[in-house]
Amino acid sequence: MISASVFLNINNVPEKELVAIILYISLFFIIVAVALIIFFYFSRKKIIQKELEKIELILRYQKEQLHAIIVTQEEERKRIAQDLHDDISSKLNIVSLNTHLLSAPNLTESETAEITDNIINLTNKALDNSRKIAHNLLPPVFEKFGLHAGIEELCEEFESSKSVKTHYKNEIDFHDKDIDRHLHVFRILQELMNNSLRHGKATQIWISFFYNEGINTCNYEDNGIGFDGSNAENQKGLGMKNIDSRISFLEGTIEIKSEINNGIAVNFTF
Amino acid sequence: MADFLIYSGYLILLINLILYSISFFRKEKVNGFFVAYLVFAFIMQMSMELLYHLHFNNLFLVNIFIIGQMVLLGFFYNSLIKIKSQKLFVKSILSVGIVIFCVQFFLEPKEFLKFNLFTITLTSLSCVIFGLLHFYNMLTEKKVYYYITIAVIFFMLGSTVLYLIGNLTLTLSLDVKYFSWKLNAFLFLVYQLVILHEWKVSFFKKSFEN
Repeated sequence: MISASVFLNINNVPEKELVAIILYISLFFIIVAVALIIFFYFSRKKIIQKELEKIELILRYQKEQLHAIIVTQEEERKRIAQDLHDDISSKLNIVSLNTHLLSAPNLTESETAEITDNIINLTNKALDNSRKIAHNLLPPVFEKFGLHAGIEELCEEFESSKSVKTHYKNEIDFHDKDIDRHLHVFRILQELMNNSLRHGKATQIWISFFYNEGINTCNYEDNGIGFDGSNAENQKGLGMKNIDSRISFLEGTIEIKSEINNGIAVNFTF
Repeated sequence: MADFLIYSGYLILLINLILYSISFFRKEKVNGFFVAYLVFAFIMQMSMELLYHLHFNNLFLVNIFIIGQMVLLGFFYNSLIKIKSQKLFVKSILSVGIVIFCVQFFLEPKEFLKFNLFTITLTSLSCVIFGLLHFYNMLTEKKVYYYITIAVIFFMLGSTVLYLIGNLTLTLSLDVKYFSWKLNAFLFLVYQLVILHEWKVSFFKKSFEN
């Protein structure tokens, strides 16, 4: 009975209407399908594009780091060459001159004594300087006694020669087996301290190490003139790049905060 | 059962309207066009219900509802889009659509007193396309109005077919006549629930924090 009435009713619908309904339904699905296909096509494209951009960014960053490493290496060579030339070669030159003088005939005893004194003095100075240069390149204290002693000595050096007050506090027991990693930390601090002095004109420096939730953290602060932390240009110097790449070696994080006339605060993990 | 579905759909719509309006006036603003859409939907649903109870033909309102829905959702997505060419695309679809509807209204006003197949297809398709466009823009960005877009696409795909066969069901026997409308009421309920979920995810915290 019901099916009969349905049958009847459907027959009451004009054929034109039925065709139109079928047509519109199929049209609707066809267009939706096309829209979906277009959507997937462009989505794929967009995602791949984004991935490529990401890879490019990483590559560019790596290139920049490599560049920074090469430039630093060259700078370092220049500095060593200059040190050698100024502090050692010049003195050895005079020593060699003096030894030539010694071989001259008709020298009085007092003259010989004076020249010998000169030679001894100069060689001593040259020796001192060569020790200093070697020390600068890799502090022996750091190598023998580890990071803690190395930083203590660094602070002492800064205090004695460069009229700056340092406050150093350490809560971490550094292991000798991590000395390669510690060298990076040491270099970062060296760079920061040099910057504080050279650019920041700081008179006080605070360094502290602490162990927090399984992560070694270092806090560094000074009272120098600081810089505009919001200006990205200030963070792209060679020294900063160097610090950045060392941090990435250590797989740590770094946060630099600074305001003009308010010193600098650096917090890094390693 | 059918009444329960229909009235709970209305209830959720009302709740959505209230919640989104509250959020609209708070700090983290809900898109105004979407609130307008909810207001419009609520008014239309209520008037349709009223006309039904007064035993008038409310199909004219159905057509107005789907056209208004397309326009408001179009403006909603248009305001979310940031790319100029896409904005132009949405606007041109909207204006072409409105021109076509006007022309059709003047040529065949009778079409608006039943399920207007052409209008239904065009409006639903546009909404689906706007939704997909928004999905595309969201691919690599933060998700904004994500659930609403899912709801719109889901509801449009489902309900369009039900509307398209609407004229057919008018002639069916009483026993099966309302089956498709029960289904539609169910879809509408789900649609409103997902919109409610969106509010909970995106605006609940921001609106009632302080």
